[in-house]
Order: sequence, then C-alpha cells, then structure tokens
Amino acid sequence: MKSDPSTRACSPTGVSRRNFLRGIPVLTAAAALPAPAVAASADTPHWGMLVDIRRCIGCQACTMACIQENAMPEGSFRTVVSTYSVALADSAQPAGTYVLPRLCNHCDKPPCVPVCPVGATFKRGDGVVLVDAERCVGCGYCVQACPYDARFINHDTNKADKCTFCAHRLEAGLLPACVETCVGGARVFGDLNDPQGELRRRLDAAGVETKVLKPEQRTAPQVFYIGLEERFAGKVVGQGSLWKPRASHA
Amino acid sequence: MNTAIVETINVTREVAWLPWAVSYFFLIGLSYGAFLLSLPGIVLRRPGWEGISRLALLGALVCGLSAPVALLADLHQPGRFWHFYAYFSPGSWMSWGAFFIPLYLGGLLLYAWLAFRPLLAAHGREGGRLAGVARLLAYGGLESRSALLGAALAALLGALLVALYTGAEVMVVRARPLWHTPLLPVQFALTALAGAVGLTLLFNRFSAGTRDTATIRRLAGVLAATQLAALLTGALWLVMGLSGLAPVHAEALAQVADLPGWRLTAAWAVGATVLTWALAALRPGSGLLIGLLALHSAWMMRWTVFIGGQEVPKTGAGLYSYQLPLGPEGLLGIVGTAGLWVFILVLLTTVLPLDRLAGTRGHGA
Ligand code: SF4
Ligand code: SF4
Repeated sequence: MKSDPSTRACSPTGVSRRNFLRGIPVLTAAAALPAPAVAASADTPHWGMLVDIRRCIGCQACTMACIQENAMPEGSFRTVVSTYSVALADSAQPAGTYVLPRLCNHCDKPPCVPVCPVGATFKRGDGVVLVDAERCVGCGYCVQACPYDARFINHDTNKADKCTFCAHRLEAGLLPACVETCVGGARVFGDLNDPQGELRRRLDAAGVETKVLKPEQRTAPQVFYIGLEERFAGKVVGQGSLWKPRASHA
Repeated sequence: MNTAIVETINVTREVAWLPWAVSYFFLIGLSYGAFLLSLPGIVLRRPGWEGISRLALLGALVCGLSAPVALLADLHQPGRFWHFYAYFSPGSWMSWGAFFIPLYLGGLLLYAWLAFRPLLAAHGREGGRLAGVARLLAYGGLESRSALLGAALAALLGALLVALYTGAEVMVVRARPLWHTPLLPVQFALTALAGAVGLTLLFNRFSAGTRDTATIRRLAGVLAATQLAALLTGALWLVMGLSGLAPVHAEALAQVADLPGWRLTAAWAVGATVLTWALAALRPGSGLLIGLLALHSAWMMRWTVFIGGQEVPKTGAGLYSYQLPLGPEGLLGIVGTAGLWVFILVLLTTVLPLDRLAGTRGHGA
C-alpha cells in the first residue's frame, strides 16, 4: 500500500497519482521519494476528492485499505461503500446494485467544528477537517452534528474519530490509502486550487453532473460525486441494512 | 415500507450519547424544575407552599448533586473534564454549559444552605440522628433574608441558563431533524417541571403523617397545567409537521411516522400525558400515582429523544437497532446513577428528615 505510486501502471488514477505527487510540497518523506515534488506551487493546497460512482465496483478494497492503514478497531469504519439493491422497473433483471462510497466530506462549512466544546475539532488551512486527539474529551457532540454519520467514537482511543484524508500520508507525499487502492479508479484525490490538476479538470469537465451529499445542509462538502442519484443523496428511504457490522466493546 | 431499495451493506453508527446522557438531562431537569417549585414557599412566602417548597428544594439538591456525575460519565474521557475550562469555545452550547452548571449548583447549594439553616439547627437542638453534624452545618442557624434572596437570584439565573443550554444544545443539531426544533427546549422544560412536581409529590407521600390534601391539590394543579401545556406543544409540533409549515418538522415526521415502534412511543407519550392531566385535574388526590406518571414521562421523553433519536441513521436506510447494554455504558450506568441519587437522599434526609421539611414537625424556614 505504501509502495512508490510513480511506479504504478498507467491508469486514470495512476495519472492522478503522478500529478498529485508533483503538485504538493513534500515534507517528511522527501528523501525517500525518487521524484521529489519540487514543482509544488507556493499556494496552499485545498484538498478534495471526487468519487466517480460509475467506476466503483463495490469491492470494498478502499474500506479494507482504510481499516489497515488507520488501524480501525473491529466494526469501526472511516469509509465504507454503502451498497443497495434497487428494484428495476424497466429491465429484464428484477434488481440492480447501487454503490455509494462514503467518507468524511471535509466540509468547508463543517457543522462538526463549532459544536466542539473544547475546540478539538478543526479545519486546517489545507481544507482537511481533523480531531486533535490530545484535546478531545470524547463528548460525542461532533458525532451528533455531522449530517453524514461520518464520525464515531473510537472504542480503542475513546475519542472522536473520522476520515482524515490520510493526513499522515499526505505529509509524506502519498495519496490517501483508499485512493491508492481503488480498483475501479473511482476515487480521485487532489488539490482543488490547482487548475491543472486532474481533480479540478475532472470536476470542471463533469460540470453540473458533479453533486454532493445533502446539499440542503449547506455544509459545502469537499468530496464530490459523479453519478450520484437524487434518492441516494440524502437519507436513503428503503429497507434497513441486511449486514451492519457493529463496533465490538471487547 | 419502501422495498424498492434494500440496503445490503452499510455500517452501524452506535449511539455516542449513552444512557448516561439521559440520566443527566433527566436529573438536571428535575433539579431546576424543583428549584423553581421551591421559590413560592421559600422566597415569595406564599401561604400553603412552605412544605412543598422545602421538599422541592430537597429534590433540587439531590438531583442537582447527582446529575454532574452522570454527565461526567457520558464523556468518553472523563479525566479530561478540565479541558472544558482550559479551552473555552464560545460557539458551542456545551462549552457554555460547563460554566452554567457550576453557577447553578453553587447558587443552589448556597440558597439551600441558607434556607435550611434554621431546620438544621432545630435538628441539632432536638438531638436527632447526626445531630452534631446538623449543628455544625447550621453554623448558628441564623436566618438571613437578604443573603437568601441573593443566593436564590444567583441560583435562578443559573437554573434559567441551564434550562436554556440543555435545550439549545440539542436543538441546534441540524443533522437530526427530530432534535432540530425550537419546540424541543420548551418540551424539555415542561417535562422537567412536571417531573419535579412528581418528585415533590413522591417526597410528600413518604413524609409520614402528611396527607395534607391542600398540598397535594396545589401540586396537582401545577402538574395539570404542565401536562396541558405539553399536550399543546406536542399538537403544535404535529400541526407544523403535517401542514408543511415547518420543513424540519415535516422531515422529522417523515423519518419516523411510518415506524411501528415510534407510533407506539408517540401513543404512549400522549396517553400518559392525557392520563396524568385528567387525574391531576379531576382526581387531584391521587398524589403518588400522578407523581410517578409525571416522573415516568420526563424520563421517557428524554430516552426517546436521545436514544430513539440516535437510532435514526442520518444517511442510511431503516434504523440502527439499539439494545441496552448491561454494563456501565447501559443498565449498570442507570442503576449506578440511581444508587448515587438514593445515597445522597439518605445522607441529606438524615439531617433534614422529610417530616421536618414537609412541615409536620419542627418549624418553617
Ligand atoms: S462530513 Fe461530517 S465530520 Fe466530515 S467535515 Fe463534514 S460535518 Fe464534519
Ligand atoms: S468528541 Fe471530541 S472532537 Fe468531538 S465535539 Fe467532543 S471534544 Fe470535540
């Protein structure tokens, strides 16, 4: 997972990986990288993600990669691919499958931030929303305030937990583990401030096709979707999960 | 149920506010409600309220002293509670709450001490159990009206701020339509007051020899008023949801209206409130029964809001099913809080026996 991304086979996301590495300042792992990101722009990046649902095959490789990369306790998830069986009216098939990778949206107006009573949850200058584990009191208020159920209390640390866009990997010039591992090339990560970057170009090309989850909450998510159907953009109306792992308290 | 979509894989998000939170909101609500009931007899000196108000003040103390323990236990890092004071965050109601609680409890303790000093002195003089301690606590037993009024004012300010923050803290959570309504703080306050009346009725019932029907009737009158107000608030919520006047109410309704469990809960809540109101209004003598009913409604309301509310996924389909764990994060926590409550009650009533407070023995404050 932590292999040198530049040696990967050329694929749509492979391209994004290389562009990504050229586009950011490399801090801690500069010496370890064969092609240091010397071409980094002086501007602060604003990290974001595009999830092209049309390319997602629902394999949950990202789910697994995240669990391993971030040492998630059993039953806890920072990202998951919600999977739905959808009845089809106009097809010989009775039902189809709809997949929806979910993670923290690193909202530009994150409702999880102002509620925190000790200022432990914050949005960094580069757009990443993080929890200061040294400060968090585990009150769970941010868990309530997130409209996306992106947060939870980690039973190993007893603190608020969520996707960090793999901030530790970004620092080392690496992509988030879920992007790195995505089989279908559905997850594109990058700097939204970089007009030449693949993320920006893909978003611009998709135009109005680009959607976010729960736009009515006005949270300004920085995770964008292509192929997001209206009825999955908010709380899904349907029959509850057939398989819902729970966190274990053991 | 819509079966056009079946969720095959998703995760369960567990409740982040545990039954400890229900205990806290229940106890702090009872406390400020009971504090308000203490005012007519002790501060305003309304005739016929002396006993009620002293019993209520005892309730405010017992609940107020046990509530913060439940609150602390709801933190997953209770040892870091000092972070609330080290990193004040004015944008967060919870952060303000960390300052309102000590203001309220400080005021309440001072007010209760000043109000009970003469009773403690009397207990010390008459040589009851722990008479020495009572004498010590009485510290001369002097009555100081102006100090009492000052402390009552501080406690009143604290109580109002606690009522405000506990309601607003939950109300501002836009992510949960069931919580995100300006009526929620009103419902919290009404059920808190009703529960406080219930607790006072309970204390009154167990103060031996007190079958003073005038007392019970007076409390039943207050209770009937709270129940009526609660029913009207509930009706307003429903009308706003059904008419589409308030989109957030409509959304909340849409999330739960079809679910059998929620329908039963709603029917139960309305039924219990109507029954309490009817008994309080028509048979005000049924003190113990309406008292227990009011306490049960105050608990049920908070359980439904917190635990029931967190069972509704924000993005996923259906419900997260909650089963009460038996350990400290569940049943043991509730029982433990109740145990602490009883312990504090026993401690306080040793030097301030219910009979003395109810006014059947000793003299008034
Ligand atoms: S998705 Fe939730 S946790 Fe992430 S930034 Fe937005 S509100 Fe906060
Ligand atoms: S759980 Fe931690 S990060 Fe979340 S609101 Fe509480 S203190 Fe802040």
